[in-house]
Amino acid sequence: MQTLTKETMDRRSFLGGAVSGLTLAFFLPEFNRMGELDAATGGTAVNSWLQIGADESITLTIGSSEMGQGSFSGLAQVLAEDLMVDYARVTTVQGGPTLVSPAPVGTSINTVGSGVIRGNFWKMRDAAAAAREMLVQAAMTSAGDTARTNFTVANGIITHTPDGKTWTYGSVALAASALPLPTVVPLVPDAQFRLIGKTMPRFDIPHKVDGSAIYGLDIRVPNMVYAVIKHCPSFGGTLAKTPVAPAGYQVVPTKVMAGTNRGLEAVGNVNAVAVVGPNTWDTWQKAKQLSVSWTLPANAAQLNDAQFLADAKALAANATPYAVGAANGPGTLYTVEGNAATANAAIAGASKVVDATYTLPYVSHACMEVLNCTVDYVPGVKCEVWAPTQSAKSVMSLAVALTSLPSDKILVHTTYLGGGLGRKAEVDFVSQAIQVAMVVGKPVKLMWPREEDFSRDQYRPMALVHAKAGLTASGQVLGWSYRNISPSILGQRGAVLGPTGDSQGSEGSQALPYNFGTRLTEYVTHPSQIPVGFWRSVGASINTFAVESMVDELAVAAGQDGYTFRRGLLTDPRWIAVLDAAAKMGWNTPLAAGHYRGIAIGTAFNSIVAEVVEISSVTATGLKVNSVSIAMDCYLAVNPGQIDAQLTGGMVHGLNAALYGRQSFVNGAAQSKNFNKSRMIRPSEMPQVSVTLIPNPGASDRKKVIGGVGELGVPTFAPALANAYYAATKTRVRALPFFPNATMSD
Amino acid sequence: MTLTLNVNGQARTVTVSDGSMPLLWVLRDLLGLTGTKYGCGIEICGACTVLVDGQPEKSCDLDVSSAVGRKIVTIEGLSPNASHPAQKAWIANQVPQCGYCQSGMLMAVAGAMQAGHHGTSISNEVQNLCVCGTYGRIKNACSKL
Repeated sequence: MQTLTKETMDRRSFLGGAVSGLTLAFFLPEFNRMGELDAATGGTAVNSWLQIGADESITLTIGSSEMGQGSFSGLAQVLAEDLMVDYARVTTVQGGPTLVSPAPVGTSINTVGSGVIRGNFWKMRDAAAAAREMLVQAAMTSAGDTARTNFTVANGIITHTPDGKTWTYGSVALAASALPLPTVVPLVPDAQFRLIGKTMPRFDIPHKVDGSAIYGLDIRVPNMVYAVIKHCPSFGGTLAKTPVAPAGYQVVPTKVMAGTNRGLEAVGNVNAVAVVGPNTWDTWQKAKQLSVSWTLPANAAQLNDAQFLADAKALAANATPYAVGAANGPGTLYTVEGNAATANAAIAGASKVVDATYTLPYVSHACMEVLNCTVDYVPGVKCEVWAPTQSAKSVMSLAVALTSLPSDKILVHTTYLGGGLGRKAEVDFVSQAIQVAMVVGKPVKLMWPREEDFSRDQYRPMALVHAKAGLTASGQVLGWSYRNISPSILGQRGAVLGPTGDSQGSEGSQALPYNFGTRLTEYVTHPSQIPVGFWRSVGASINTFAVESMVDELAVAAGQDGYTFRRGLLTDPRWIAVLDAAAKMGWNTPLAAGHYRGIAIGTAFNSIVAEVVEISSVTATGLKVNSVSIAMDCYLAVNPGQIDAQLTGGMVHGLNAALYGRQSFVNGAAQSKNFNKSRMIRPSEMPQVSVTLIPNPGASDRKKVIGGVGELGVPTFAPALANAYYAATKTRVRALPFFPNATMSD
Repeated sequence: MTLTLNVNGQARTVTVSDGSMPLLWVLRDLLGLTGTKYGCGIEICGACTVLVDGQPEKSCDLDVSSAVGRKIVTIEGLSPNASHPAQKAWIANQVPQCGYCQSGMLMAVAGAMQAGHHGTSISNEVQNLCVCGTYGRIKNACSKL
């Protein structure tokens, strides 16, 4: 049983508009950015509320963010199941740290790691069941009958079976609020599920078809002014001299704060100016025209793709091993698993050796909604922030640091996010908006033009992977050696890496259930300090490309097809079931002339996913993706229709990156600054997609690990495509993207 | 300068520093019609699509002065109560994810329908970007219109 809190009148009155009735507060742990359960659960921290109103309202206030993944509705679906009410009766409300009084800065409200449903499933069920039992207890008191077995609940109505008397939840909500929290809360048995495992419509969609959904960029505050950001074009550059503001406008330099520093962007660096004016367009024009003098970093000339690749190649050949007590600076070699001597010996003794190097570029997030934030700051009184953020917690911490206001004078409103993709877990744009608001004395909406959004991203890290494996003459794998050289995401966030390196950098490359004989998995911190960050599926999107391309190369060396070879090499029945499900959809069906297939399997966030990609029309400048078959085992499927949407959308994200995604640098300055140089597919290019979810074995086992969904479509697309491309051309694409020079016009 | 626009069937007067402000920013900042979105500013993504005299136009690069005297329809004016067939189809097919591009998608679809397209020929007319990758459901939704 989790920590539930029955709300006191004080807390309830703080909730302001809350109706009278039963309020249960609880903590939805979600997942922090390290991919682990947040430790700061305490016993008193709360970030979510369930309210049963005397007016029959049922309101779920959630701290996490809605960025398209549908998890608000998913949580409501889980709640309604164990509360035993109609799904449509639940109203979800976006909460934030400000709903807690006093706001505990340590309270986790992050939306990352495909974690909202998998991290909160049991918490939500327990809270719903506890509320339901308290309502039943109140009805029992009213009936003067202490036998629980004489009461049934259906559709939000409590019935006393001996006499047929009924109570609505609202009619007993106030009485229930005076009762103690129950110690035993029976959950709805799997066989009686009405909602869990069913495709249900999302609550947010009606607002997203009539223009009424409010995203960060749509916030309007009375007397608001508009700020447009202009950064130094090169990372690591700083403002040389504050420019003179155009008449009628203000120019506010902004600096890097602790918590927003990444790589070359050091704390205190004044790396941008904001131009402040009466509306977006006029202000943006002034920002474009403003001549700003920047001091570039001393090593600017080395901040380019060729140098990054040269550094990676050098580290592929020779890197200094991690040592306890040593500095372990950039270029350190970490052993993730296995032993170099044994793996190398096994490979050396093999009759066939495959040796391959894969490279991946930096990739931008390119959320449809550019970064933006609105702040209303009144000195000594309040700092009110509206942000499309994946991390209201970080927004709160930053606002405290910048304003020195107590946390109860800071209000954070999480808006809808026009895409998050990991980028909006960062708060650099929030920091700038608060800094500008503190100078101008009016509410400010700060926007990053699209060109700034691309140029000042925290990119998916570039990577070079050197893989080597040895096989017997009959195709049995004897040894596997894998070294990923990539800038460290966690290192840029101040983490001190232990002997196994950066967990984000190695995810997707370790503990793979392949019978590789003996294996070695290594991770090397690449020295590039271009800011990197969490990009949908993070390390899995890098490693799954390299691992599954390499496995395909081994299949070719063994003279087997990609499915058969993997089938023989896999040791985990769940992986085998996923591979078989993908093959059943897309591998074994007849193939049209000129069409080719590739297959890949991988894991992320405790789910297992496989994709089969079918292509045709391969030329030097393009190819056609005809169909993609996706199979996944996430253990528990709450809303299959939404899982289908997320897997399909994730696959498209992987497709865009595999075919076209690349951010290049010259003198530390990004070269792809808008969609014209960051091609993506358009509707007419959408492949046919089929999705199979491995059947849900039942939701009643708390010991089973529920897997994530939102990022799972991404990682296996690129290798499946590369494998299909090899089938078509007998040419192995080892460097992403496939078509780096693709462009797009209107 | 002060201009009068016909937006969603109403005469709306705006004051701009000059007539080159794109219609997008007039709608969003001056008229508070934030359903029309900024995506790229270079007429590639289509998030800013509105109808101008019945034709889908990317409002991010359309001078407001050139919209004077023409009938402008935004997502807010597409229908009362989200009753346009495309909006209904979008709900029925659960199309949006993050939803940011969908105003532009729907206006492009509405324009194609107004031009006489039906079913799959509607989605062939719509070439807006969706980073969430909702294209499959967009095509399904259009196929029944």
